[in-house]
Amino acid sequence: MRVDVDPAILGQEFDRAEHEPVTADDLISFALALGENHPCYIQAGPELIAHPTYCVRFKGKKFFPDTLPESLRFRMSFDAGKDLALGVPIRAGDVITIVSTLHEVYEKTGRTGTMVFVVVRFRMTNQRDETVAVVDNRFMYKAEG
Amino acid sequence: MPRFEDVAEGDEIQTETRVHAKDHVRAYARASDIFFPRFTDDEGARREGLPGMITPGNMSMGLIGTFLERWAGPGALRRLGTTFRGLLLPDRTIHICGVITQRDDTTRTVEVDVWIENEDGERAVIGTATVALA
Repeated sequence: MRVDVDPAILGQEFDRAEHEPVTADDLISFALALGENHPCYIQAGPELIAHPTYCVRFKGKKFFPDTLPESLRFRMSFDAGKDLALGVPIRAGDVITIVSTLHEVYEKTGRTGTMVFVVVRFRMTNQRDETVAVVDNRFMYKAEG
Repeated sequence: MPRFEDVAEGDEIQTETRVHAKDHVRAYARASDIFFPRFTDDEGARREGLPGMITPGNMSMGLIGTFLERWAGPGALRRLGTTFRGLLLPDRTIHICGVITQRDDTTRTVEVDVWIENEDGERAVIGTATVALA
């Protein structure tokens, strides 16, 4: 599988999504599902903050930019992993905005053949424009045939 | 909680062993708004060609985050990178493991290799993390 991506599309914003305010119930149910028991993650009140991986719950409106080659846009991909850099904690009442950019496209050859990885970067900010997280999501495409 | 001065490269974080129950996966899927058959019931997952219910990759990442902060304290996690290498099937015992690979005196942070092993000793999820210590 050979993929030609115009380097000019890398780093360009292709989606922006603003979410409903985060609720204390959202934060607590998420943390409890992960077996958290620290009060700062599971007790409502001014000290309540989001579990550090809560940010991966947010999604954009589009997975990929329209400028991504069709050979990738309309094929089944797999979630190969994520890199998460944390900023200020998310708190109840925060309104999170996600800005999506295509960060990187690369090929890798392993035992099962060549795979293509598409990395989409989600920069997440709160209503004060503080960065709460930068998440690089790696989507993997297996070789055709 | 360990202090920065108390840890060394090569130190292992105490492994967490737990039964990774289907109900935990369903609770996570509900809390994450991803209540899809592949994460909630075996039959639905099989219809998608999977061997049964699977664990969302994001949940694996969350379990590692919880593991690291139980060791270092809440708010200690600065960065976490994970690679999902295989399926993590629920209703099995899993082991969450970590080892310190690097110390940074300037930032009082440590780099940690982390992974989740299944019952067969396979590392279904691997990753690295940066953790701040007091």
